[in-house]
Amino acid sequence: MPKMETTEKLFWSLLGREYTDEELEYVFPRAKAELDGHDRENGVIKIELNDTNRPDLWSPMGVARLLRNYENPQPLHYDFFSSKNYTADSEGRTFIIGNRAKEVREFSLGFAADGKTVDEDILLTLIQSQEKLCFNFGRKRKTIAMGIYRNDLIKYPVHYDGVDPDATHFVPLHMEEDLTLRQMCEKHPKGIEYGYIVKDKPVFPYLSDDNGDALSFPPVINSARIGAVEVGDNNLFVEMSGPILRDLILCASIMACDMADLGFTIRPIRVIFPEETEFGKEITIPYYFQDSQSCTLEQIRTVLGEDMTIEDAQEALARMGVYSVTDKDRVFITVPEYRNDFLHPVDVVEDVMIGYGLENFEPVIPKDFTIGRLSPAEELSRKVKDLLVGMGFQEMMYNYLGSKAEYLDNMNVDTSKAIFIANPMTENFEVVRPSVLPSLLKSESISASAVYPHRIFEVGKIAYLDPLDNSGTTTRNSLGFMLADPANAGFNDINSMINTLMYFLRKEYTLSVPENETRFIPGRCAQINVGGKAVGVFGEVHPQVLENWGCSVPAAVCEIDLDSLL
Amino acid sequence: MADVKNLHPLEVKLLRHVNPGEDITAQRIVDELGYKIGQCNQAFSWLSAKSCLEEKSRKTVVSYELTDTGREQAEKGTPAVRIFNLLCEEEALGLPEIAERLGLEKSDIGSAYGSLSKAGITAMNAENKAYLKSRELPEQALQTHELLKKGLMGPLEESTLTQTEKALMAGVSKKRGAANSPYKVTEREDVVYTLTEEGEKTKEELLKANITGEEIGVLTPAMLASGTWKNAQFRPYGLDAPVSRLIPGRHNPYGDYIRWVKDKLTSLGFEEFDGPLVENEFWNGDALFMPQFHSARDIHDVYYVKNPVHCREIEEPWLSNVAATHENGGNTGSRGWNYSFDHEFTRRQILRSQGTVLSAHQLTKAKVPGKYFGVVRCFRYDQVDATHGADFYQTEGIVIGKDVNLKNLLGLLKMFATEIAGAEEVKYVPGYFPFTEPSIEVHIKHPVLGWFELGGSGIFRPEVTKPLGIDEPVLAWGLGIDRMALMHLGLNDLRELFSPNIESVRTRRGN
Repeated sequence: MPKMETTEKLFWSLLGREYTDEELEYVFPRAKAELDGHDRENGVIKIELNDTNRPDLWSPMGVARLLRNYENPQPLHYDFFSSKNYTADSEGRTFIIGNRAKEVREFSLGFAADGKTVDEDILLTLIQSQEKLCFNFGRKRKTIAMGIYRNDLIKYPVHYDGVDPDATHFVPLHMEEDLTLRQMCEKHPKGIEYGYIVKDKPVFPYLSDDNGDALSFPPVINSARIGAVEVGDNNLFVEMSGPILRDLILCASIMACDMADLGFTIRPIRVIFPEETEFGKEITIPYYFQDSQSCTLEQIRTVLGEDMTIEDAQEALARMGVYSVTDKDRVFITVPEYRNDFLHPVDVVEDVMIGYGLENFEPVIPKDFTIGRLSPAEELSRKVKDLLVGMGFQEMMYNYLGSKAEYLDNMNVDTSKAIFIANPMTENFEVVRPSVLPSLLKSESISASAVYPHRIFEVGKIAYLDPLDNSGTTTRNSLGFMLADPANAGFNDINSMINTLMYFLRKEYTLSVPENETRFIPGRCAQINVGGKAVGVFGEVHPQVLENWGCSVPAAVCEIDLDSLL
Repeated sequence: MADVKNLHPLEVKLLRHVNPGEDITAQRIVDELGYKIGQCNQAFSWLSAKSCLEEKSRKTVVSYELTDTGREQAEKGTPAVRIFNLLCEEEALGLPEIAERLGLEKSDIGSAYGSLSKAGITAMNAENKAYLKSRELPEQALQTHELLKKGLMGPLEESTLTQTEKALMAGVSKKRGAANSPYKVTEREDVVYTLTEEGEKTKEELLKANITGEEIGVLTPAMLASGTWKNAQFRPYGLDAPVSRLIPGRHNPYGDYIRWVKDKLTSLGFEEFDGPLVENEFWNGDALFMPQFHSARDIHDVYYVKNPVHCREIEEPWLSNVAATHENGGNTGSRGWNYSFDHEFTRRQILRSQGTVLSAHQLTKAKVPGKYFGVVRCFRYDQVDATHGADFYQTEGIVIGKDVNLKNLLGLLKMFATEIAGAEEVKYVPGYFPFTEPSIEVHIKHPVLGWFELGGSGIFRPEVTKPLGIDEPVLAWGLGIDRMALMHLGLNDLRELFSPNIESVRTRRGN
């Protein structure tokens, strides 16, 4: 979940008044936001955002815009947008995309903004927005990387293209050395962090002005001159690059609306692509591309269970900043410029719900009669657990992930049936438990000081490779139990417990000598068969296994596949 | 004062037997009450600890007791005496012959002969045979024999020996009695106790309660058969005596809590579902309308299975339906995510990362109306700490019905909040989940924990239900019961729920 900070000063000015914490806690849920903290001493408000599909809310401007409108619904007019039918005046600013860009990072676009002097508050807010959008919405710069530049220093048109990474060089931000793009990937902290996105491509992305002066090496680092925005600047160029055009246009729209809310005048730029895009060969940014969305009154009523009128619905939408027209019982919304989350009519319904106020819906218990039931596996597992408890065993519960050393090596078994994780975080959690027995022996290995005898068991899941299944694996409900005692923990003790268990489960069984069994003392273990099928194994744990675990007391164990007994 | 019911019969009888001012010694108690010395010492130690007796004086007593060797010598004579007697009868004998005739070890013969010849009684002739030079035994040999015979009557206390005997004794005794010396020396502490004031009071209590120490400790089948119990007095038990620890067979308290939650849900009309730990991207994400590029589907969020990397196939028609929905909305009324669905990625196998997977599976086989739930193990790529486990339980479920809606969802959440969480107040706020719209979070005020988020819920998006063959609305919910489980068990670290520590699990209690 994205988290952000804002100063009280900026937030109150955006909201138009001061809010108490109680008021913030009350209104924030309308933006799916939570008050994460309020540092009064430094005048800093922390906000957590829960909607990962609403990047427009990941800035103080976005949240304030929604809340301002919620209190006093008024259509907003961002008049700098172009659209399919209207092209704003770009005053000669053009941005030319070269034809090698698609070999590395196909699109780039941007707009300019002036008329407001950047102070520290604004600078930090813009950097924060840039980070949130690129990290969360732009998947750690993979699909969106953004740069902000000093527009005064730029000679238009701006050029974006794929270039030779070894022949192109400039001084990157926060460094004094002139480096090639490839060197930046190796030497600059940002290059080390983000260079992987482009480093195997034949050309690298490069942004420069008409004088050939470097703006940046997207998605890695700005130049130290044009790319170094500071407090006091009042003329900015905002650019974003990535492989998905719609995401870039939306991101530009969000930034443009945010900056307009901060008092900037947005200056459109005409972007010229080498080929046709879904919005044409030339797009003037900011650009309104969203399709309309609609829903019926019937849909609203069915989903929300409330007999509201179409006017109620329109009013609720307006509080969310969503303006609509109606045609009979259908509501057509104009998707706000900074949003693109109306995939389905239900998305409109949700805005109606929030705008209407969740507190205005009465909870009603569903009236359908249904019969509750436990799964057959749960029923059997309860029966088994009760029998084990009756025989004096303590039920244990274990994690299902563990290390190869514990699950396999210590048990004297090989890796042939185990499910390994391809991307383990540590080797402590890299194998799915193929048996309950290692869990029980782990307990024994750390519990030498607990009073003996130790009688413990678990009914839980295990999983291992099974070529017959579509997944190549199988998950089983398994019973494992262990008896550890300096004197009486032998084959016969476990054998009589199995006899008791099977008697009460009404299962006829036979014992046979197990094959290839390395976990037990040879001649002191047995395979349990039901209906001619192996369902379990038990015996005295091999001293080598006990030694592997560091256990100093003899133990006998049993494992039974409960799914075969169902 | 000691509870007289807690006194052992050995203590009772001793206390009743002695009077203030009397000397109480082990010997006296052995003689007068027939205690064994061990019983006597036990009673002294217990009563001293209870301040009923106090030590008046203590001295070390040395005594001498015959060893087996000593006993034999006392009866048959010392080796020197025996050699002398034998040589009186025979002219001259070689030492090996003497040993054989007397049935003694050569070494014993050697040292005894040495002492005789030193005293001038014996000598060797030319044939290297021993003969008597004198027909009279030295005084010392006779006295030694006498001293040994005296020991046959019982241990000799040092204080009863004459000066001569003491000197002789030093030659025939060894501390801790080496087997070959005739006497062994023992030292014991002779302690004299007297009754304390506390002891007097306790004795009075015993008399008053009519406790004699002869009470019966155990009722036996023989007593029942013979009827002797009728005239018997039974030893009463003290109620403040420490009890011994019992280790019972027990359910795991966390398991008990989960069992309780499952029972609660079945009582509310929910049917349980379950499934395999290994899932694939299709069910874990695609079927839930999470775009394949969604950030929660990153390599840093789910565990991939190393082998087999992919499952063989995804069942139709679900695969085609879901793929179309992602690409352009299919027949769901949605515009979709507008990207090209990856048919290989969708088969990639992972460890189930959310319980909602099983809700998706359930949609393909659900009855309408229907209510389903599962308490299922899930896996997340997280650093394991007090609030994150490598694997953990999620409690999830769905409600399908022709007319279910948002107000029913709120009703359901309210029911969970009061029935399962014991909430005092309930608050709903809009939430966000990729697979539900609208989405609701429920926050509750718990009597102990205060306000916290109990769970997430929503109405499944048509992009989730329609491709899986469901046209009716489906309410989906998930409850975070682990926080309540921790509170219930008095724990504050999630890792403790799956503790392998036997002692810790044995002693853990639910509230």
